[in-house]
Amino acid sequence: MVITMEELAQTIDHTVLKPETTRNKVKQLCEEAMTYNFAAVCINAVHVEYAVELLKDSSVKVCCVVGFPLGATLPQVKAMETREVVALGAHEVDMVMNVGALRDENFDLVKRDVEAVVAASGDAHVKVILETGLLTDDQMVKACLICKDAGADFVKTSTGFGPMGATPHDVRIMRETVGKSMGVKAAGGIRTFKEALRIIDAGANRIGTSSGIGIIEDYRWAQYSDSWMQPDKPCWTCPSRMANIAKQPKEVYLWYKQRCLTCPDKEHNVFTD
Amino acid sequence: MSNTSQLYSDADLLYVSLSDRTVTRKPIPEDLYKDYLGGRGLGVKLLYDNLAPGIDPLSPDNWLIFAVGPSTATSVPTAGRFVVITKSPATGGVFDSHAGGYFGAQLRRAGIAAVIITGASTSPVYLWINDDQVEIRDASKVWGKDTDVTTDELIKATDEKAQVACIGPAGENMINLAAIMTDKHRAAGRGGVGAVMGSKKLKAIVARGTKKIGVVDPEKLSTAVKRARLLIKKNGITSKALPVYGTPVLVNVVNELGMLPTHNFQEGTFNDADGVSGEKLLERLSRKNYNCYGCPIGCGRMSRARGKDVGGPEFESIWSLGPQCGINDLEWIAIANDKCNLLGIDTISVGSTIGCVMELVQRGKLEHSLKFGDTTGILEMIEDIAHARGLGAELGKGSKIIAKQYGAPELAMQVKGLEIPAYDPRGVQGHALGYATSNRGGCHLRSYLIGPEVMGSPVLVDRDSTDGKADLVILYQNLSAAMDSMVVCRFTNFAWTVDDYADMVAACTGLSIDGKELLKIGSRIWNLERMFNIREGFTKSDDALPPRFSTPLPEGASRNRVAQIDVMLPEYYSLRGWDKEGNPSSKLLKELNIPIER
Repeated sequence: MVITMEELAQTIDHTVLKPETTRNKVKQLCEEAMTYNFAAVCINAVHVEYAVELLKDSSVKVCCVVGFPLGATLPQVKAMETREVVALGAHEVDMVMNVGALRDENFDLVKRDVEAVVAASGDAHVKVILETGLLTDDQMVKACLICKDAGADFVKTSTGFGPMGATPHDVRIMRETVGKSMGVKAAGGIRTFKEALRIIDAGANRIGTSSGIGIIEDYRWAQYSDSWMQPDKPCWTCPSRMANIAKQPKEVYLWYKQRCLTCPDKEHNVFTD
Repeated sequence: MSNTSQLYSDADLLYVSLSDRTVTRKPIPEDLYKDYLGGRGLGVKLLYDNLAPGIDPLSPDNWLIFAVGPSTATSVPTAGRFVVITKSPATGGVFDSHAGGYFGAQLRRAGIAAVIITGASTSPVYLWINDDQVEIRDASKVWGKDTDVTTDELIKATDEKAQVACIGPAGENMINLAAIMTDKHRAAGRGGVGAVMGSKKLKAIVARGTKKIGVVDPEKLSTAVKRARLLIKKNGITSKALPVYGTPVLVNVVNELGMLPTHNFQEGTFNDADGVSGEKLLERLSRKNYNCYGCPIGCGRMSRARGKDVGGPEFESIWSLGPQCGINDLEWIAIANDKCNLLGIDTISVGSTIGCVMELVQRGKLEHSLKFGDTTGILEMIEDIAHARGLGAELGKGSKIIAKQYGAPELAMQVKGLEIPAYDPRGVQGHALGYATSNRGGCHLRSYLIGPEVMGSPVLVDRDSTDGKADLVILYQNLSAAMDSMVVCRFTNFAWTVDDYADMVAACTGLSIDGKELLKIGSRIWNLERMFNIREGFTKSDDALPPRFSTPLPEGASRNRVAQIDVMLPEYYSLRGWDKEGNPSSKLLKELNIPIER
């Protein structure tokens, strides 16, 4: 895959979502996003007004999370959050799906939840965070179809606060499911240009990361060797390897682990690497 | 103080003949710094052109060069280091050994690019460089003294703002493990460079410079440095791990991967690693950070052990005096490290050699009280090594010689006579290739693939795979050679890319250097070092690891692996443009502007 540094930068949502984030940190985030010409800054609602002011003369968008990080609040609350942040100037809204409802197969509620945010978003783009680490592949596919049907612009893998980050496996399924008409945003645990390129190769067109500068700066190493992109052990990027019973529902955890038993790369799953 | 700023191109080569006590300043030749920058590259070129093959490294025929580079004492971060280049008594090959601290900056401010020591004095002397004034002074009052006392007394005798690079008793007694110390606890440790200094009866160089340092393109440098500092600030290793824990942050990381050499590399996991870790150092002994000149990272530690303020200990020293010898007492390690600093001994090689002797004892090859896990008698043994007394005199020759002497050469964990540092090569294939092909022997810094293979910097590559490793080793070797010739600290490599170094060196010198050209300079230096070693009789058989690394580790996260040098070496030679025996081709040498000498 050949992608320029500028093109790579344009896929990145420069992200700070930690609770301890100060205004100073938001200012730094925005300045960096302008310097590197990132696609957007991704922040919490309390910082939207300030970020909009800082970025008013730039092409960098302001993206705000909604119903974050659990997604377990009411549709009308997510909608109200959306209206407020859009009114403050947010250009994009990353909402968290009602994951529990999806697992309950209460698909109507999942859809209404997304539709409420889409309706409240005006011209802003809506990305729906599925929190893929809490889902099986079939559930992920269903979630993607609901989001598409509900009029969302993007599906997004993870909050970064859940049990797993983004994996090429998940992104590939999401892209295959939503087709070319929607965006796919990968977020969670993407820290290097190698990870970013793999995720893009799998179908993502937006990356949420707090390591944007490192990814872009380190990408300059790529011109000096092709060996960075040598294949790793397949388990390294497999969600099954990252499954964690302490953080996932038992049946989801077991679903992931049972895939290992029939995996064609099973012989690589030997060492603690 | 001079008001005019001095460019690197106007700096001098200071030739000091200790045999006839003459001092001569010569301008640095333009083609020398254009092709080799400074530091390591400059030193290697001077040695290649001026040393006759086969000379005894401890004879007056050897040269001892202290060099700085075009970035030294400028605003380039970490650019206060200096390099010592000589023919090594430990390896018999060309050698460069580096130290941080503040000495390098003083040398450069005195208008000097390199001090070239030739010949030998008949009595102890030290060199006092005070800007343009240079004196060879009597050092009999500090001869025999430890490095801390020497430093204090020479500063008292010269200038309180001067900086000192000196040897301790180990250097005076010309042991192969002798280091050159600066600021009391920073060491140009490896390769026995301190022994060469001792052979010349040169106790110290004391430097004080007040010249302003200029660069050709201040605006370009300002932009590049601003960016370089930002990158250091944004990188997790340079902004968090190293400042908070220092280099010992690696103890737990490397141990978790089952490649922390234990009991002379018989195992790769040390059960008490947490007790000697960076985290434990921070909790128990660490008092404050130590920043070398111009360094925003501050990986150095100042600790307090057994009621005494000591420098360090660094990761490699903790390993060599700890797990390598089966020792889990961090406070004792700090004291042993301090003793090595006072005596002027390379901690890596001394710990590795003691570990080797412990295994000789374990296997019944040698009768002695030294045994794994027991600190009894080791401090005294370190004293004996420094003073070349009894068994200590034998250890002072290094593990290769003593293991062979007691009939078990395979127990010496060395390459080309230099002891291998704190990463078991069975757990990191690229790093293993780096050890085997290093021009200065068992060294982790010539191609620090621990960055990508362990720390994921800039990206994580599969540490067990041999694919693509030759390519990465060459990239890191060439870049390191260039960095060592600028001269900047290796740790900047976590945050900066090739282009950043090129931008800064171009701004300092005005030379048209981009990333590719910088790597070509690095390749030129690497190949010239190779030619030097070939001239000294090194062959393909020297690009090898000890046989232990062909036997799998029994347990831990690197178990069942061997170092696959035979798989990677042919590709390495091919990518280097060398023939199957490891000889650079005439075409390559011509391309690199290296004089062909077969």
